[in-house]
Amino acid sequence: MLAFIARRLFVSALVFLAATAVVFVMAANVGDPLAEARQLPSGQAQEAAIAEITERMNLDEPVFVRYFRWLGSALTGDLGVNVTGQSVNAMLENAVGATLQLVLAATVLSIVVGITIGVISALRQYSGLDLSVTFAAFLFYSLPLFWVATLLKQFVAIDLNNWLADPKLALWVIGLIALFVALFCAALVVGDRRSRVTTFVVAFVAMCALLWALSETGWFADPGLGIFVISLTAVAGAIGFTTLFSGLDWHSPPMRAAMAAAIAGIASALLLDPVLRDPNLATIALLAVITAGVCFAIGWLLGGELYRRSAVQSAVFTGLFTGAVIFTDRLLQSFASYSDMKGGRPVSTIGSGTPNFQGTFWQSGLDSVGHLALPTLALMLISLATYTRYTRASMLEVMNQDYVRTARAKGLPERAVVTRHSLRNGLIPITTLTAYDIGTVMGGAVVTETVFGWRAMGRMLLDGINQGDPMPIMAFFLVAGGAIVAFNMLADIAYGFLDPRIRLS
Amino acid sequence: MRRTRTKPAQAPSGTDAVQGMGVRTRTQGQLVLRRFIRHKGAVAGMIGLGAIVLLAVTSIGAGPIPGWWPKDFSSTGTLVDGGKPTLSLLPGFLGGSGLQIGEHPFGQDNVGRDYFALTMRGTQVSLVIAFIVGIVATFVGTLVGAVAGYFRGKSEAALMRLTDLVITIPTLLFAGMVAVMAGDRGIVVLGLVLGLVTWTPTARLIRGEVLSIREKEFVIAARSFGTSARRIIVKHILPNTVGIIIVSVTLAIASAIILESALSFLGLGVQPPDTSLGRIISDYQNALTVRPWLFYWPGLFIIGIVLSVNFIGDGLRDAFDPRQNRVRD
Amino acid sequence: MSTNLEPANGSRVHAGKTLADSLPPSDEEILRVEDLTVEFPTDDGMVHAVRGVDYSVREREVLGIVGESGSGKSVSSMAIMGLLPGNARVRGSIRYRGKDLLRMREKEHRSLRGEKIAMIFQDPMTSLNPVQTIGDQLAEAVLSHHLVSRKQALTRAKEMLDLVGIPRPEARLKSYPHEFSGGMRQRVMIAMAIINDPDLIIADEPTTALDVTVQAQILEKLLEVKDEVNAAILMITHDLGVIAGMAHRVLVMYAGRPVEIGNVDVVFNQPRMPYMAGLLGSLPHLDATEHERLRPIVGTPPSLINVPPGCPFSPRCPLADDSACVTTEPELAPTDADEHYAACHHWSRLAQVDDPTAYFRAESERSR
Ligand SMILES: Nc1ncnc2c1ncn2[C@@H]1O[C@H](COP(=O)(O)OP(=O)(O)OP(=O)(O)O)[C@@H](O)[C@H]1O
Ligand SMILES: [Mg+2]
Repeated sequence: MLAFIARRLFVSALVFLAATAVVFVMAANVGDPLAEARQLPSGQAQEAAIAEITERMNLDEPVFVRYFRWLGSALTGDLGVNVTGQSVNAMLENAVGATLQLVLAATVLSIVVGITIGVISALRQYSGLDLSVTFAAFLFYSLPLFWVATLLKQFVAIDLNNWLADPKLALWVIGLIALFVALFCAALVVGDRRSRVTTFVVAFVAMCALLWALSETGWFADPGLGIFVISLTAVAGAIGFTTLFSGLDWHSPPMRAAMAAAIAGIASALLLDPVLRDPNLATIALLAVITAGVCFAIGWLLGGELYRRSAVQSAVFTGLFTGAVIFTDRLLQSFASYSDMKGGRPVSTIGSGTPNFQGTFWQSGLDSVGHLALPTLALMLISLATYTRYTRASMLEVMNQDYVRTARAKGLPERAVVTRHSLRNGLIPITTLTAYDIGTVMGGAVVTETVFGWRAMGRMLLDGINQGDPMPIMAFFLVAGGAIVAFNMLADIAYGFLDPRIRLS
Repeated sequence: MRRTRTKPAQAPSGTDAVQGMGVRTRTQGQLVLRRFIRHKGAVAGMIGLGAIVLLAVTSIGAGPIPGWWPKDFSSTGTLVDGGKPTLSLLPGFLGGSGLQIGEHPFGQDNVGRDYFALTMRGTQVSLVIAFIVGIVATFVGTLVGAVAGYFRGKSEAALMRLTDLVITIPTLLFAGMVAVMAGDRGIVVLGLVLGLVTWTPTARLIRGEVLSIREKEFVIAARSFGTSARRIIVKHILPNTVGIIIVSVTLAIASAIILESALSFLGLGVQPPDTSLGRIISDYQNALTVRPWLFYWPGLFIIGIVLSVNFIGDGLRDAFDPRQNRVRD
Repeated sequence: MSTNLEPANGSRVHAGKTLADSLPPSDEEILRVEDLTVEFPTDDGMVHAVRGVDYSVREREVLGIVGESGSGKSVSSMAIMGLLPGNARVRGSIRYRGKDLLRMREKEHRSLRGEKIAMIFQDPMTSLNPVQTIGDQLAEAVLSHHLVSRKQALTRAKEMLDLVGIPRPEARLKSYPHEFSGGMRQRVMIAMAIINDPDLIIADEPTTALDVTVQAQILEKLLEVKDEVNAAILMITHDLGVIAGMAHRVLVMYAGRPVEIGNVDVVFNQPRMPYMAGLLGSLPHLDATEHERLRPIVGTPPSLINVPPGCPFSPRCPLADDSACVTTEPELAPTDADEHYAACHHWSRLAQVDDPTAYFRAESERSR
């Protein structure tokens, strides 16, 4: 395996090196960097400007010499200067954070959501849910990103802000949302028509009541979960994860472990209040690690010899889930104050962050969310559709395999057939997909950033292309191409780990 | 869909081979056509794409041939009713103004240009570029994929590294640069260069398919007779990859429309005086709050085209390879 | 008797263990299938895959099922397992030790599956999960029915691998399926089937995908382990030699229906249904003089979508002559031998001749 990774690394590095040469040669010929200087009235000033740019960009040298010059300094970490003499390193530093945040958020969300929807859709093949998902995936897949992004920016952001000024839901909106949620729940339920109808009715009524209560109490203007809802969600999570990993059984050790993890989580939500007032990212990460560790121990101890594996799984997932709920609660609690800071218009349409924003960890978190939400949503749609479609197709293919039939013939419960046999095999091809998709998302980020007026890598690239300026283009390529190479490699390695047939060769 | 049984007849001395099953014999082509026609999405896609192409070509005509739409996409005029679209599909009794096309069905822009004519012009250009890209990308991709899949060793390694190299460069960056270099040499050149940078998905698909076909008995047999590699590729392998090639044409066309419109939106694609759907959206995006129709129409046409082509592609894939619909034994 | 029971290949399957050596069946009935019908709605119409099947299996008995491709053998056995696709419509009853499998709750049915009723599939190459170790897959079968630790389950798995004759079972537990040959994988499948001491093993063409020498070993192994765990076997095959060598009784299926059932010697020596006679007649004679031709049954079985009235075999049958054959479908009825049933209006005519397969010879030669 190690030799495989090393070889893969070496080949990738070579390919990437060759690609830099190709991109550089093209970038050097994409336009005329002197165009602007030539516009100047001819004379001394113009000649001086031309000479200065020629000198700065070494335009009098052949392109290959320039490439090796760039390569030499790039290897030492110096990315050169752009046509106006600005340091590209500095430009990149300002740009890369926002873009990577956007790309990462969109990728992770589309993978998680896309795979979930794809799996559910495949498990309920030909149901109403499946048909709608298939059609929606087709539609999303066919949407021009810039068009959707513009629509989101113009309408959703503005309307959402207007609505948040006086957040009341009309009855028909409540009904509509509840209808969708109820349909979704009903589609999830296994079993005959009666249990589906029951689920539908219960979900519909519960959702209507909840939304109505939230709307009437003005919750949307000053949201938060409170310890009661946190506890409720944590316990529900414990039940859900245990059911997923080992089946619903109130007295089984995994259930006990998960419950213990949920209770520990709720207790720490109360005890850690001073720490959670205004933490930093490192604290949060540390807390997550501690949570995982403690829950692992809980699962290990309560699982006993017979149930150790599933008890640990249930406990760790429940613990992290509870942590996420507490995190969300804190974010929501800061919403009202953040909204005030933004003059009552929390959803932003321009830029990647409020300039010179000062606030607590939670408020800056909300600021990022407010700026990222719509661009991420726009950028997600296409990848989301891709992941959904591939996952669905892959799952359907796997579920028809003989070994899934064998698993059923063993007498495994359907839950175990799906999670242990179909899912594991069905997700293997998806690893490769992430590698293809990342390039598309990188390109999509350029478009999205343009629509939302971000001064990030997209701007840098477009300016570079329009001005015939190779250094910013190369900087963009180093990041984007590097990400593609890295994802490809990770995908290959993941594939090797997941599929023992590859491991040998 | 009913499964045709292809299980080889077994053991006791020929009993089964002759008993056989009453499988109705249809030629491959008939089967494919039948499955395609049964695919509702594909048929809808065919109709949708056909309608759009027909509308775009006949309305404003092509080249010297005039169309039936009297207005021109470039000449300005007086604004009628603020340039609002006159197209109405809602009958009077439902609160609309009846079924009518009117003077400017898609409305007018701020200087009074007829927006229907402009959208049709954009559609034509976008379609032409997309078809060129689709054909070029499929041609190059098939070539690379077939050769890389068929020959083991050096040429495979070289071609796959080449593919890896192209994949390493984000499509938008690569396409953006070649599009700018193509400059204002017209839409055909733009289509060609875009095709030259978007063939990698096709190459991968074809290579995978060829890899599996080259291990089939009939290819091994042909090789053992000493048939030349070129002949095997042309006579045996390509005919068996027709299905996947046709499917990848549709995929390539669909992504070409999206790519071209994104480039044009960013100002890197089609250059004035030519226009395309993406270019129109870019030109009028600031009008969204005052003249929303200037934003909607070209977007809807892009979605219509891409959705249709994707549905056709899906139908074709199912028709050529019904494997996914197989039922459990 | 001119019908030769020893076909050219695959016949000497029982060089080691033979049926005669193994424990005899008891009188206790463990499975009774009554009037089982299975239909699939499809685009082309309703496929009547199984149209009323009755049979029973006793403890330790080997019941062979033969029949043309598409005659409903797999579908009827998948109905016992409860593994038909969701759109299948199943009627009738399948009683396992008195309990009707078709009317029990899914949870109860599942607790029998793999525990009391196990199945071995045709293609060992695809029947094992490629990304899990053999040990995990075997242990899983134990763990889904018994409250034991993983370690204990793996120990049991090792014993089973040993039992089915896989060398170095301890080390092999950590192997993946692709590291095994086809024969070894089918041994693993057998190990998986017997790991919970089942009462009934359904083997659906367990050797079809294997080469001839391995076929013999696998079948032998199957007979051996059957006694080890005291199981009955439902043996689906196309190989009459296998039936002759290792089944107590045989059920012949045609177009979704049982057309003949009885003890193997009786059915093979005195077939009372022309289809079975034709099958036997189509076997090559070892004592054949010069170039005697093989005599296959000409024609094809009827469509299962629009099953015509009358005997489904009548279009291909040399005995079909009067109107009964084309108007009424014959029921399974007792014949001249004990416990021997056949569905043919004219079984008595077969009984009158010395060699029932002769009818077929005449027919096929006439058709040439
Ligand atoms: N899911 C299904 N949907 C529709 N028809 C089906 C389905 N499964 C099986 N059939 C049909 O049912 C009939 C009986 O099939 P079955 O698999 O039981 O045959 P078989 O006797 O096992 O044949 P073989 O010897 O080839 O295995 C066939 O005509 C088959 O096409
Ligand atoms: Mg079968």
